[in-house]
Amino acid sequence: MKKIILILCSLLLIVNVGFSQAKKPTIMVLPSDVWCNTNGFMMEFDNQGTKVKIPDYKKAFQESADLLNVISKINGLMADRGFPLKNAESSLKSLEGESAENAMLTSKGGAGVAESPVDKLKKTAKADIIMQLTWTVNTTGPKKSITFNLQGLDAYTDKQVATAVGTGAPSFSAELAVLLEEAVLAHLDGFNSSLQKHFEDMFANGREIIIRIKKFDSWDGDLEKDFGGKELGDVIEGWMTANTVKGRFSTTDATENMMLFEQVRIPLYDASGKATDARGFCKELQKFLQAPPYSITNKLMMKGLGQATIVLGDK
Amino acid sequence: MKKTTKLLMVAVTILFATVYSTSAFAQAGKKADKDTKLWRYEVQCVGVGNEGTKLIKVFSYSKKADVAIEQAKKNAVHAMIFQGFNGNSGSGCPTQKPLTDNPALEQEKADFFDAFFADGGKYMKFVSVSGDGQVAAEDRMKVGKEYKVGVVVSVMYDLLRKDLEAAGLIKGLTSGF
Repeated sequence: MKKIILILCSLLLIVNVGFSQAKKPTIMVLPSDVWCNTNGFMMEFDNQGTKVKIPDYKKAFQESADLLNVISKINGLMADRGFPLKNAESSLKSLEGESAENAMLTSKGGAGVAESPVDKLKKTAKADIIMQLTWTVNTTGPKKSITFNLQGLDAYTDKQVATAVGTGAPSFSAELAVLLEEAVLAHLDGFNSSLQKHFEDMFANGREIIIRIKKFDSWDGDLEKDFGGKELGDVIEGWMTANTVKGRFSTTDATENMMLFEQVRIPLYDASGKATDARGFCKELQKFLQAPPYSITNKLMMKGLGQATIVLGDK
Repeated sequence: MKKTTKLLMVAVTILFATVYSTSAFAQAGKKADKDTKLWRYEVQCVGVGNEGTKLIKVFSYSKKADVAIEQAKKNAVHAMIFQGFNGNSGSGCPTQKPLTDNPALEQEKADFFDAFFADGGKYMKFVSVSGDGQVAAEDRMKVGKEYKVGVVVSVMYDLLRKDLEAAGLIKGLTSGF
């Protein structure tokens, strides 16, 4: 009887691992800075004497019906491909609502919700892949045409992972909304096939992420600290070589205080067959550094599926 | 007696003519199928179609113009799966990649595609001739002993993609997630 139960449990585990799916990236459509600037949807603020312009997405969503139509069309077509997108406008509204809720929330004892400055900074509408949208209206005499540019940007590696760009047929009579709809229909299949190439590469060579190592200034050690004839930085690089897919990563920056690893290819599943991401991968590095002979207390922070930071010396 | 012989002769002549023309048509059809397998056709995009469709002009070759027109449907679906088409700035069409990036897929899955592209096969579900199959004068050319005929067809691209995904021949955007 025990044997049967054991066999059944093993089968269940195998089936469970077999059907484990990779973590699906979230995608969001946002207008590009160029589009926002051209159409007057920018905010300007003084950053210690330098005037800085940033896109005002809220204003763009509230005032441009064309933008809403294009995003809605893209969302609909992507949902049809089994990839429903995060809606940027709704995300912004949710963030506002949550901020208001946090400000009002108190326990019976009068305590508020804990929120560090970093937590506040991280409160932005985000997705793993941003579909950056730009269009310009070209006019030649009475004829109008649309130049349409859709870029798929990986939010962590800053790489352009998909693209579709082109100019539509000129028209004497078609309205802008019609030309825009035609542009979306014409270009989305091309965009999706380049996005699919990116996913296929991810499945073949692992997810590409960025890892940062930093240190708290209160810690007396640094990345040049010696452990059995090897500097801590070298020890971390050795761990990366052993744990990345085919040992693929680049050490972009390394000083005694910080290290930056880019193009780090991590497996999509951990040793137990569970889907993993940058945080799951770095948890192993965190454990490795916490264990003897290194015994370094450290803090792990993550940003979406593809970026993680380990700060050494404290929690 | 003479009259009966004459009637018999006429009947035999008609029979021979019918058999000959049917066999010639079938031969032309087989030749056209062979041309499709050898990717002997040309595709041009003529405009952005309605949602889920692609509007293309397919030039097919055959000794019989009717066969070339009929073969255009087969060639259009074949092109979408294996060849794609180049963009055309005049009509606002971007370049379209084929549904599969494996050029050997047709040979690897020969059983599926032989049935799929057979006369009256499943490919018919995904294509329709635009404008009742009328061919513009400039799109009907005599090239040597053959006709090169250009027909505008509308391919139900999204349905075709979904069907091939369901058959496990190509991967969907969400495969693996």
